[in-house]
Amino acid sequence: MELELELKDYVKIVRKRLWLILTVVVLASIAAGVVSMYVLKPVYEASTKLIVNQSNEAATGMQQLDLNAVNLNLRLIDTYKEIIKTPAIMDKVMSEHPKFGLTAGELSDKVRVSSVNNTQVMTLVVEDGSYERAAAIVNAISIVFQREIPSIMNVDNVSILNEAPSNASPSPVKPNVKLNIAIAFVVSLMVMLGIAFLLEYLDDTIKTERDVETVIGLPTLTAIAKTTDEDFTHGAKSSKRKVTDKRAVLEQ
Amino acid sequence: MPSLSSKRKIIAQHNPRSPISEAYVKLRTNIELSAVDSPIQVIMTTSANPGDGKSTTASNLGVVYAQAEKKTLIIDADLRKPTMHHYFMLSNRGGLTSVLTNQSRFESVVRDTSTPNLQVLTSGPIPPNPSELLSSKRMSHLIEELRSQYDTIIIDSPPTLAVADAQIISTLTDGVLLVLSSGNTKRDLALKAKASLEHAKARILGVVLNNMDRKNADAYYYYYGATEE
Repeated sequence: MELELELKDYVKIVRKRLWLILTVVVLASIAAGVVSMYVLKPVYEASTKLIVNQSNEAATGMQQLDLNAVNLNLRLIDTYKEIIKTPAIMDKVMSEHPKFGLTAGELSDKVRVSSVNNTQVMTLVVEDGSYERAAAIVNAISIVFQREIPSIMNVDNVSILNEAPSNASPSPVKPNVKLNIAIAFVVSLMVMLGIAFLLEYLDDTIKTERDVETVIGLPTLTAIAKTTDEDFTHGAKSSKRKVTDKRAVLEQ
Repeated sequence: MPSLSSKRKIIAQHNPRSPISEAYVKLRTNIELSAVDSPIQVIMTTSANPGDGKSTTASNLGVVYAQAEKKTLIIDADLRKPTMHHYFMLSNRGGLTSVLTNQSRFESVVRDTSTPNLQVLTSGPIPPNPSELLSSKRMSHLIEELRSQYDTIIIDSPPTLAVADAQIISTLTDGVLLVLSSGNTKRDLALKAKASLEHAKARILGVVLNNMDRKNADAYYYYYGATEE
């Protein structure tokens, strides 16, 4: 076995099965596009923003931002992220809005809480098949959370910056058709290249003069091309034409 | 894929100017070049598997030898699946087996072909005991006799792996051509074929690599012989 493969060989292996590779890659990409556009249900996203800010009751008029207070609020955000997902909040949301028809567990799976580092802003995101429902859920959670925080943390420092508008009609966030096509393209290309090389590796036939030399250890006295019907009618001219053309170019 | 019609046609006869015919001329040249100390007069063609192209090689090589003004004889010693009479469109009523069983004389069954200087001895009727006939004294005497009558004798034999015939015939020859089919002959079978021939003390001249992809084979023609018009 000769394991030394040159770049030339790689190119040759790919070119040999180029049509197979291209066909599968194109089909996979088209399939991904079709499935994303027509089969997968669209998913919409609605979000609210909350700000965590200690309303300083002692300070009257002079709203001084105290660095310690800000730091405390930043620490609190991590705590709040966890609290939102607990049954303490979720059960309340559910009992107030039975129309969602979700359990507390399902609801906490639906909601994503994030915050940009070192800001006091939290973002709640809910995904759902219908935008209106997503907006209703995320607003309900925000309202309940804001209302419950004082009793849980003994501090009233959450206010809602903006609610999810319930009448907007944004485009769905999922499925991302372009991304899915790109993924299908890349993955199928990798797989097909793998298959092409595997087939080549499993093919243990003699192919070139070099194989004869290295594997069989015999000289090749001649190589006979696959014979076509054309060979019986055309002289050597046809295969020489390329060479003469090159020569003609050189002579000019 | 060549159609059946072109498969059984001898390209060196039909179109001596084609690159493929040139490749057979190259084969002849290389055989002559490898005959440094002892002339190579009797050549056997064999392959690992059936269908790799040994009979095609035998018939075309016979034609290009004859075209070089050499008195050439092709013997079809593939007594299991003889094909030479198809290539040259000859009757196979009498041939090698009828000579070996003393039913007819060589002169009465050897056939002329459309190529000057080229004669063919077809296999004759298929016998029940090919290996015995081929290893008989009669066979070795026949080849010895024919050496004085012809410049070059090409013997087409069965594939090496199925039966021992090729090994038996190889002992009567000056050199063996192993025909391999690019993309079809498995490495291990090619190695086995080589080993079985070496076991019979055959002199393997080299390999004829058949069924090459155009792109790979074309490289040969650029450097070889085709004259321009």
